[in-house]
Amino acid sequence: MAATASKPYGIIAEFLTPADAIHAAEMVRDAGFRKWDVYTPFPVHGMDQAMGLDNSKVGYIAFAGGLTGYFSGMLMIWWMNAVDYPIMIGGKPMFSPYGAFPPCYELTILLGAFGSLFGMLALNRLPRLHHPLLKHRRFALASHDRFFVVIETADPKYSETETRKLLTSAGSQRIELVEE
Amino acid sequence: MSSPTHSSSHSAPFDLSAWRNVPTVLMVLGGAGALLGAFLDVKHAAFSYLTAYMFFLSFGLGGLILTILHHLFDASWSVPVRRINEHLANLLPMLALLFLPIIINVLTAGNDNLIYHWMVLIKEGKPDHAVTAKYPLFTVNSFLAAWVFCGVVWTVLARGLRKHSLEQDKTGSIECTRAMRRYSAAGVFLFAITTTAAAIMWMKALQHEWFSTMYGVYYFAGSTWTTIATIYFLTWLLQRQGPLREVVKYKTFYFLGSLLFAFTVFYAYVTFFQYFIIWNANMPEETFFYVAREHGVWFWVSMVVIFGHFFGPFLTLLRIDVKLMPVIMIPLVAWVWLMHYVDMTFNIMPIMFPDGPHFHWLDFACLAFIGGLLARIFLKSLNSHPIFPQKDPRFAEAMDIHVPEGEVLKAAARGVKATTGGKH
Repeated sequence: MAATASKPYGIIAEFLTPADAIHAAEMVRDAGFRKWDVYTPFPVHGMDQAMGLDNSKVGYIAFAGGLTGYFSGMLMIWWMNAVDYPIMIGGKPMFSPYGAFPPCYELTILLGAFGSLFGMLALNRLPRLHHPLLKHRRFALASHDRFFVVIETADPKYSETETRKLLTSAGSQRIELVEE
Repeated sequence: MSSPTHSSSHSAPFDLSAWRNVPTVLMVLGGAGALLGAFLDVKHAAFSYLTAYMFFLSFGLGGLILTILHHLFDASWSVPVRRINEHLANLLPMLALLFLPIIINVLTAGNDNLIYHWMVLIKEGKPDHAVTAKYPLFTVNSFLAAWVFCGVVWTVLARGLRKHSLEQDKTGSIECTRAMRRYSAAGVFLFAITTTAAAIMWMKALQHEWFSTMYGVYYFAGSTWTTIATIYFLTWLLQRQGPLREVVKYKTFYFLGSLLFAFTVFYAYVTFFQYFIIWNANMPEETFFYVAREHGVWFWVSMVVIFGHFFGPFLTLLRIDVKLMPVIMIPLVAWVWLMHYVDMTFNIMPIMFPDGPHFHWLDFACLAFIGGLLARIFLKSLNSHPIFPQKDPRFAEAMDIHVPEGEVLKAAARGVKATTGGKH
C-alpha cells in the first residue's frame, strides 16, 4: 500500500460490550446521523431500535417476486394447457385454478426467494470488491469480540472534532480515522 | 441494555365493571332460549347447538395443545401467557359435559330429529355400505365410548398440567416442570387421537359416507388459529388492565402474532389440499361433500372462507409491525372468531339447510349459553390463581434477564427464586 494520505472514509469507535454498543448507537441515532453503521460479532437484540432502523424493504421486493411467480405460473399453465396445446385429461376443465395451484405455489416460493435474496443484495449494494473498513487493522475484531460504531465522513452532520467528542462521551476508549 | 417499550403498555385501563354480569346474563338468556328452541324444533336446536359447541370446543383444545407445545419445545417466551393457556385447557371438563345435549339427541330423538343420519340407518336395520365399512367405529356404543374417552383424556391432561403448574407457584420445584413435560409427551399423542376422534365422530359423521384423512388436522388447524387469536386478545387486555403489565413484552405480542400468521397459512394449506386431492381424484363418494357446499348460497359462504379465513388475515399479518398494533390486531381477533364460526357453520349446517345458511335466534342462544358459561368458568379460574407462572425456571429468560450461573446456585441453596420480574 502506498503511504500517500487519502481522504478519510469515516471515524471508527471501538466498544467492549454489546450494552456499550447499544448505548452508543442510541446516542448517534439521537444526534441525527444518517450514514453510519454498527458492526458486532453476533446479532444484538434491540440494536435495530437503538439504531432507529425502519423495517427492511426486502419484504416488499420478496412480495413482488412472489406475486410475479404466482401469476406468471397461472398464465403459463393457462396458455400451455388451454390455448396452445389443449389435452383433455380425466374430464377436467382445460384450465382450473385448483389444478394449476401447486406449480404456481412453487413458483411463488421460488420468485419470492429470489426477490428476498437479490433484493437484499441490491439494497446492500452487494457484491462489491472492496470496502474501506477492510483495510482497517482492528476491524477484523468485529468478527471476534469487539463492537464497532462507524460514522462516515459523507454524513452531513459529520465533523471530525464534534463526532469524535460524541463517540468519546459514548464511552469508547479507541477512536480512529479510517482512510478511503 | 435498553428494552424497547411498547406504546400501548401504559395506556389507562378500561373500566370493565359494567361487563361484570354479562357472562351470567348470556348464560341464563341463552340457556333459556336454547331450551325453548329444543321444544319448538329439536333438530334445528341440535344443529345450532352442535355448531356453537364445535366453535367453543376449539378454545379448550387450542389451550391444551398450546400448553403441551410450550412444554415440548421448552419455550421461554410463552411462560408469561402459559397460565391463560392452562385456564383455557381447563374449560375442557365442562366442554365434555356440554356435549350432553347432543348425546340426549342421539339417545332419545326420533328418526326425523336425529342429527346423525347413520344412526337412523342402523336403527332401521338397513345400514348402507359406508356404515358397514366403518363398523365398529360407527355404532352408537362407539359414539358414546369416544365421548367418554375424549372427556376423560382431556380432563386428565388439562387438570394434571395445571395442577403441577400451580404447585410450582408455591414450591418452585423443578420436579413440577418435569412432570408437566411427561404429561405433554404423552399428551401430544392423546391430543391428536382425541381431537381427530371428536372432529370425525361429532362433525364429519353428519355426512357419514364421506371420508377425509385431513379432517382432524383441519379442525385442529382452525381451532388453534382461533385460540392463538384469543390469547393475543386476553394478553393484550390483561396487560392493559395491569396484571400482566410487568411481564408481557413486545416480543410476546410479536411471537403470538407470528404464530397467528403461521396458523393462518397452515389452515389454508390443510383446507386447500383436502379440497385439491378430492377435486383431483374426482370420485363421487368424496366430491359430494363439496358439491353440497357449492350449492346455492353455500358457494358464497365458501368464498367467505377462502377470502375471509385466509386471504384477509394473511395479507393483514404479512407486515412485521402489524403484529404489534392493537388497533389492527384486536379487530382482527374478532374477525378470527367470526371466521371460525362461519367455518363451523359451513361444515355443519349444509346438512340441515342445503340451499344456504339460515340465520336464526337459536344460533345466538346456543352461542350465548355455552360462551357465557365458559366465560364464567374462565374468569373464576383467572381470579383464583396467580395470573402467570410464579416460579417457572424459564421465567428470567422470558424476561430477558441474565442470571449468572453462580447466582442461580446460590438462590437455589437459599430456596428462593432468582428472578426479579414477578411482582404478583
